[in-house]
Parts: sequence; structure tokens; C-alpha cells
Amino acid sequence: MPLVNNKVGDDCTVGTDKALADGKALVDSLIKVVACYRHLASCVGGCTDSLQLRDELRQTREKAQKLSVSICQHLTSHLRDKSLPEEQRKEMELLWVAFSSSLELLHIDMCKVFNMGDIFSPANTAALVQTGLQGGGSEVAARALSLPDLNQAQTPTPADCLESQERNTMEKEISQIDHMIDDMEMKVNVLRWMVEPHGPQYADPLSSTDSASLALLSVDEEQPGHQPLCQRSHIFVLLLLFAVVLLAATLSVCVVFFS
Amino acid sequence: MTIRTARPDRGRHFRPRMHCIKKLEAMVVEMQDLKSGVKGSEQKLNVTKIPHVITGQDIIAWIASKMKTETEEAHVFGTMLVAYGYIYPLQNHKKLVMCNDTSLYRFQTPYFWPTQNWVAEDSDYAIYLAKRNIRKKGMLEPYEQVHYNHLHEWLNHKWDFIVMQATEQYKAGKERMKPDCVVFDCQERAYWIVNRPPRRTHSAMDCGPERLIDPSADENIFYQQAIMRSKVKSSVSLGALVKYITNYKNHDAFLAPCLPSNPWQTDNDAYWTLNMRRVDVPTKMRVERWSFSLFELLTDLRGRDDFKIFLKKEFSGENLAFWEAAEELKWGTASSMSTKAETIFKTFLAPGAPRWINIDGRTMGLTVKGLDHPHRYVLEAAQTHVFLLMKKDTFFRYLKSPVYKDIQKKALNPEPHNFSPAQLEQNALTRSPGIHPIILWQQEEEEKAKAAAASAPVDVKAMMSKIDRKK
Repeated sequence: MPLVNNKVGDDCTVGTDKALADGKALVDSLIKVVACYRHLASCVGGCTDSLQLRDELRQTREKAQKLSVSICQHLTSHLRDKSLPEEQRKEMELLWVAFSSSLELLHIDMCKVFNMGDIFSPANTAALVQTGLQGGGSEVAARALSLPDLNQAQTPTPADCLESQERNTMEKEISQIDHMIDDMEMKVNVLRWMVEPHGPQYADPLSSTDSASLALLSVDEEQPGHQPLCQRSHIFVLLLLFAVVLLAATLSVCVVFFS
Repeated sequence: MTIRTARPDRGRHFRPRMHCIKKLEAMVVEMQDLKSGVKGSEQKLNVTKIPHVITGQDIIAWIASKMKTETEEAHVFGTMLVAYGYIYPLQNHKKLVMCNDTSLYRFQTPYFWPTQNWVAEDSDYAIYLAKRNIRKKGMLEPYEQVHYNHLHEWLNHKWDFIVMQATEQYKAGKERMKPDCVVFDCQERAYWIVNRPPRRTHSAMDCGPERLIDPSADENIFYQQAIMRSKVKSSVSLGALVKYITNYKNHDAFLAPCLPSNPWQTDNDAYWTLNMRRVDVPTKMRVERWSFSLFELLTDLRGRDDFKIFLKKEFSGENLAFWEAAEELKWGTASSMSTKAETIFKTFLAPGAPRWINIDGRTMGLTVKGLDHPHRYVLEAAQTHVFLLMKKDTFFRYLKSPVYKDIQKKALNPEPHNFSPAQLEQNALTRSPGIHPIILWQQEEEEKAKAAAASAPVDVKAMMSKIDRKK
């Protein structure tokens, strides 16, 4: 982190630094929530679709909504502030771009969930598509809402009124996000071609615990064709090992015999 | 410039494909029904089992029995389902076909179905590729790598967001159960194979100007023919147009005042009487017009008469006679066609005919063959040939001949009328209906009879014998 020459005690920069940090934190959490929302949305209509999933979707969406409103206010007020120093402005603009892209993703996902909710109702389990999923989205929702455990007592209220209420609220929220996107564009003029990202072209591979799923996926991919070859190489290695073991055994026997 | 790069693909509403796809969806929902749909089983991977896997032959058998069709049609239908992304193959995921054997398939989640009226977004694709890269660096196929680099250039301003979102989605995915992780990865991968097909494969979602395969092969033939057509340079065609305009601009009644006066404007029909069919002395404008082309000369009947006089002097009237006879055949009644064709053959085409025309062997052969079953246009080729002969040779001689020069000198050049308004009124009052058409027609018939009698076919043999006798 570069040393800020703050000898004069420039409160303004400190203030905006904090604002920047705040904004960054907010945007990060919004990105996380949007990612989780997408995972949950991909389960809708599938065999794991249930009232609980819909509920989790709703909660995640509400959180995203709250976050976006606060970020909007925060960023708009700072970007309209003409006295913002140049580097801060650049950082703010980066956050702005990230925020607007997240909003777009959220908007698409919300529309998709809205449409699919029409077609697939969690009450009619026979019509849900057998996609091969087994678990629900509870862990993902927990991650989104930053809760250690999502076993909140959700009394499943009668499906009908919940659904219709849900649809109304959803429609309202979709249009709210729509308006927000439009308003943002009106109030703040961020030139996208001037924004330069910091990060690398390739995200760092997170090598922690993914080897297992990687193995699963690669087995999935390589099922045909490769198996005979693998088997052959396996057999060859085994034979070699066996031969070596046999040799060692005979040698030891000889040693024992002749000593 | 709006903030939105994501937009609904409204064009899809109007594409006929959408109706078929909606019906497909109903079928897919039926297909996956636990009781009456395709029987699923479990897929065993290393240490886990993933349910809801179906084999190709089961699917095809189910479709065949449900739609009451044959296996081949069910096979094609199944391939279509795979191509549109409703079902994805587990082995050999890049080849989107349905195989009628034990190869495994699974249903795609509705989130990734094609009816969602949203374009498969580039930023989504970038996030997906970044995620793949996070899982294992260098796992991208070459064409995906190319896409990735291109997107990095184009979506550069969003790149931080894309990387962050990819990381977050990856982490969120890790929260799920291991088999679900695998299933979701497969789903996403299948979705992107449909929407961003690898090089040299075509996707069922192809549409729009960037599509790879054009289903209408007729267009291809159309373009090929267009290339093979001979083209005229615009300089040449424009030159011809300019020449035409310069020639005809004084003869156009809209652009130049007609002499003596436009009868429609002044109610004085001197113009018409001077330019009648059988006038003795034609007007200067008319004669000038004959010199423009042979076509003009022949279409003006007065000019044709003049030309006939010239040809009589040259003893080469048979070309024009043949041409006229062919015109009569073309425009005449259907009942008289066969008799006319007979006479024409006897007079002009038969070897040793009295007015034998000199056309090349190939055309002659074609015409004679055609005359076995005569129709209106049987003499078209021969007529065109004769016309070209006249145009290239006789016409220019005519223009230089004394006959033409004579008529040019004799031609009238009427003075333009200059009526005062009072006279115009007078003219309007004294308008007369003109000569009755029946009278004109009778006159024509008389003239024709006279001409037929006068110009009996020139007997070549008699002429030759006359010349011999003179000698």
C-alpha cells in the first residue's frame, strides 16, 4: 500500500480513502451475492426446486437489493463531488463499472427466475426437470446472506398466496432495478473507455481443494476411449511391480540360503 | 450510449423457430416425467453416483412410441433436442448429436434453456471462461483461448469485475455438494457449447448475419449465376444512355416543341395529318428518325415502304419480306399459323425456293426442324439473323443511297404555328373527329392488295433466264 504523505493532515483524502474502502467492500459483497443468486437461479425448474429454494432466492434478492441501493447512493454522491482527487475518481469509476455490471447480471437473473417461476411451480413436482442435482441451494444461500447456518424457521405458508405476492414483489423489484440503472446513467457520466482495470487477464487458479472435483469432471469427460489404454498401462505397471517384487524375494531367499 | 450491454433479444420473438421450441419444451417436460417419461438411471463416477442419466436408445425409443413415428425420425428429433441444448451428452460433449446406443445424456436445467429470451451474453461467456481457467490454468481449448483474448480486449473496462465475479461464482459453487458441482459444471459447459460452438461446427442457434451455415442453398446458386453473368461497365452503359438522349431529345414531344404544333394543346391536327401512314411526303423529323436505327425505320411503316423501294432496286427484298412474314406469324391469329408457316417455308426456306434467304446452316436446320411443329416463335432465330444482316449491311447502304437522300430533300419542314388565344378558342370550337378508322382500314386493305399484286415473288430462275436471253 503506497505511503500517503499525510503530514499536512489532509482530512479530505483520508475521508475519501475510507469512502473508497467502504465502497469497495460493498461492491465486493454485492458481487458475492449476485454470484450466489445465479447459482440458486440455475436450480429453478429442476428437481431440487422447492418452496425453500424460492424462499432462499427471495432472501438473497432482498439482500442484493439493499446492497445495491446503498452502493448507488454512496457512489453517486461521491462521483458527483467535483472536488474528488484524480486517483480516487479513477478508483470510484472502477467500482462504478463493477457495480453496473453486477446490476445487469442481477437484472437478467431476476427476469429469468420470474419467467421460469411462471412455467415451473414447486408445488407440481412431476413437472420439474430431472437435472441430476441432489442438494438444494442452502449452503449457497447461507454464503450469500453471510449466515453460518440457514435453518431459520420458515413456516411454509400456503403456496398460492405466497407465490402471487412473490410475483408482485418481484415485478416491482425488477422495475426498480431497471429505474436504478437508468437513473445512474442520467446522474453520473462515467466514460467506460477511460476506465482501466488493475487486475490480471487470468484469474489465479485456486488450487486448494478442487482436485477432487477436477478428477470427477475429467473422469466424466474421458469415459469413452481412454479406458482401455489406462487399463493397459495399469496392467503393465502392475506386472513390472510384481516382477520387481518377485526378484527381490528370490534374491533375499538366495541370500538367506547361501549365508 | 446506455449502460446496458445486456438486452433481451427481441428479434427472437419473431423468428419462426420460437414456436417450435416452445412445443419442444412441452415434450421435454413430458419426457423427464418419472412415471411416464424416459427411464433414468445413475451414473457412477469415482466415488459418487449422480442420478438422472438416460441412454440414447431409451430416448429414441420413447420418442418413437410417443410420436408414433419410425426410429429414424425419432433419431433426428433426438439430435435436434441435443442441438438446441435441452439434453446434453455426457461423453463426447462437443458433438451435439444423439446416438442410438448406450451413450449417456442428461436433461439441461431450465435456466439454460434457449427460450429464455436473452442473448447469451459475452460478459457471461467471459466469466465462464475465467472460471474454467481458475479451476485449472491452461484448460481452455484453442478456440476458447482466442475468444478469451478477444473478450479481454473488448470488455477490458469490466475485466476486474469479470475476474471477481468468476472467483465468487467459483467459490459459491464450492459450497455445494461435490456431485452437484460436477453437474452444474457439465450444464454450463453444455450451454456454452450450444451458444458458442467450436470452430467448424455449426450450432442450431445460428441466426442473424453472422451465421455459419446458410440453409437456403438457392441463394448460393443465385450468386453463382450473378457472378457468371456478363456485366457492362457503367461507363459504357452510361455512354449509351447519353447517346440515346442526344439523339432523341429533339423528337420527344415533352422536351421539344413538335412541329407544327402539338394538337393536344392547340387543337390543330396538322401534325397528325402530316405524319399519316401513307403520306406522300414525310416530315423532316420523321425522316431524321429513320436514320437512328433499323428498328426505327422498320417500325415506321412509311419508312418501311421507302426501304422496300430501295431494296427492290438492289434485288435483295427477300430479307425484308421474310422478316415481315415472320412478324405476321408472330402477331397473327393462331388458326392461320400453320398455313402461314407452310407458305413461308415454301417461299423462303425450302432449298430452291423462289425467294430463298441466305442464313447460316445451323439456324436453317433449327428452323426447318421447328417447322414440323410450328408455333408462334418458330422463326425467331432466323428472323433475328435476317434482321442483323439487314442492320449491318443493307441499312447503311440505304442511308447513303440516293433514295434516302432524295426523300430527305423532299421532306417537309412545317412552320411552327403561333396561335393567339382567340384562334385557340376558334380551333377548339372547330374540332372534328377525323377520318373514321374503318375507312382507314379499308384504304389499307386496298393498298395491300395492290402491293401484293405488284410485287409478285421475283422468280430467280426467270430472272436468270431473262439475263441469259438478253445476252
